[in-house]
Amino acid sequence: MTWTWFHRLASPPYIYTLAARLTPWFAWPAGLLIVAGLWGGLVLAPPDYQQGDGFRIIYVHAPSAWMSLMVYTTMAIAAAVGLIWRIKVAHAVAASCAPIGASFTFAALVTGALWGQPMWGTYWEWDPRLTSELILLFLYLGYMGLRTALEDTQRADRASGVLAVVGVVNVPIIHYSVTWWNSLHQAPSVMALAKPKMAASMLVPLLMMLLGFTLFFGAILLVRLRGEVLSRERSASWIREVVSA
Amino acid sequence: MSRVVTPIAGSLVQTDTAPSTQTPAGPDTAQASVLEAARLALARDLRLAFRKRDQLVQPLAFYAMVTMLFPLSISPELSRLREVAPGVLWAGALLASLLALEFLFRDDAYDGTLEQYALSGQSLTWLMFAKTAAHWLLTGLPLALMAPLAGLSLGVPAAALPGIVVSVAVGSIALSLIGSIGAALTLGVKRSSALLALLTLPLSLPVLIFGARATQLAISGGPLLAPLELLAALAVLGVTLAPLAAAAAVRISLE
Amino acid sequence: MNSMSRFFEMGGYAAFVWPAYAITFAAIVLNILWARRSLARSREEARRRLAARGEGA
Repeated sequence: MTWTWFHRLASPPYIYTLAARLTPWFAWPAGLLIVAGLWGGLVLAPPDYQQGDGFRIIYVHAPSAWMSLMVYTTMAIAAAVGLIWRIKVAHAVAASCAPIGASFTFAALVTGALWGQPMWGTYWEWDPRLTSELILLFLYLGYMGLRTALEDTQRADRASGVLAVVGVVNVPIIHYSVTWWNSLHQAPSVMALAKPKMAASMLVPLLMMLLGFTLFFGAILLVRLRGEVLSRERSASWIREVVSA
Repeated sequence: MSRVVTPIAGSLVQTDTAPSTQTPAGPDTAQASVLEAARLALARDLRLAFRKRDQLVQPLAFYAMVTMLFPLSISPELSRLREVAPGVLWAGALLASLLALEFLFRDDAYDGTLEQYALSGQSLTWLMFAKTAAHWLLTGLPLALMAPLAGLSLGVPAAALPGIVVSVAVGSIALSLIGSIGAALTLGVKRSSALLALLTLPLSLPVLIFGARATQLAISGGPLLAPLELLAALAVLGVTLAPLAAAAAVRISLE
Repeated sequence: MNSMSRFFEMGGYAAFVWPAYAITFAAIVLNILWARRSLARSREEARRRLAARGEGA
């Protein structure tokens, strides 16, 4: 009985309509949270004791970095589900994740560089966290490149699925690299679920941005998912109703 | 294609009777036949490779050329070259290994041997391990033996050479294993060199980092046990996981 | 006006803060546009496949 919802989720027509209905529920809260977070972070939060107003980059850098890791993990889990249980919808989810993750990994690297230069005197440093984040970008690009190179969708799904799962080992490396190695990148101040070392007026907008970006990912994923599901479907009946709408 | 398809692949087919009527010799016979199959696959790959000896030389020649680029483009001064030697030696080894990866599965996929392996009932994982082992013996090990020559041309002191050979030998094990996954995923894809590089390099970077570090310590005379141990750990990790992933990838590519 | 200009100057870090926000904003907008275009293209392809099947059948 409890598996019926799982089976429904694996059904492409159900997913298609569900995704369409859910998208506004992700999009609008995402927009509100991001706007509120921007207001709180740029205007309301006081300047940092050491970094002045420069610290405000955190409100775009940390969410982007969070996205790069979270999206890859989602992609790897979806790929694993697709490989193990041979569910096309799961592969569609994984395929939808990749461009989102790649773009935010790029944003994380660039915003990090812009933060690094004034604060620590360099745009780039080949330390473990930055290097492994760059590796993550290449993993995303490799994933998308493999998909493009393989014309057969089923083979592309499964091959890129294997790649996504193999590459997921990079995610904990990125996350723990600042604690495992002495790194230029600062130690986590919020990621540890213990007491955060930030003032509330600075922390709250950051949390809003993190949540807002996550919901944004959900909204974009749902939009892409519909297209991916459509392109994997050959049977005409439910598509006919949907595309002539 | 004038390549002779040896009947080895056929002999890999399991001749055990069906499980229900299997004699109670159990795991031992199954284990023996898997190892035997792997040994046969390894021997076959080595034998076939030696028939085309000039193809074996290509990665080594590539390595020599890549190494030569740096004195010519940076500076002929040995003292300066010595500084970049770890990076050059390792980047060159990585690129040469990538070049050789394309040959790992190509011929077997082309003449149907790979399909035979997949259908033979033998553990494809073990066969992948055997093929990758052959690849290392034909590429990684020669590169490791050639690295001292490259190192000397970059001003590396003679005392550092044994350490370099060991680190490249161990590191290239991991490189072959990691590379086998990418090679299996891109089976049959036309002009896949760039894609193969894009897939393989990110996962190979830890090997590069530790290997270059070991080489640097070898040159400066420091203790290189730590990075060597890390390289060995990566090799062990690769041995346990990569053949599995490569087998899965081969099955996906053959479907 | 004074507080506005102080806001834009970001304590002297304006050259770093604002490009960072710009690129993140660009990532957000790009994702929206790209996703919508990808969905539209999939719908168009599905429509075309259906039409081809309809005529062939």
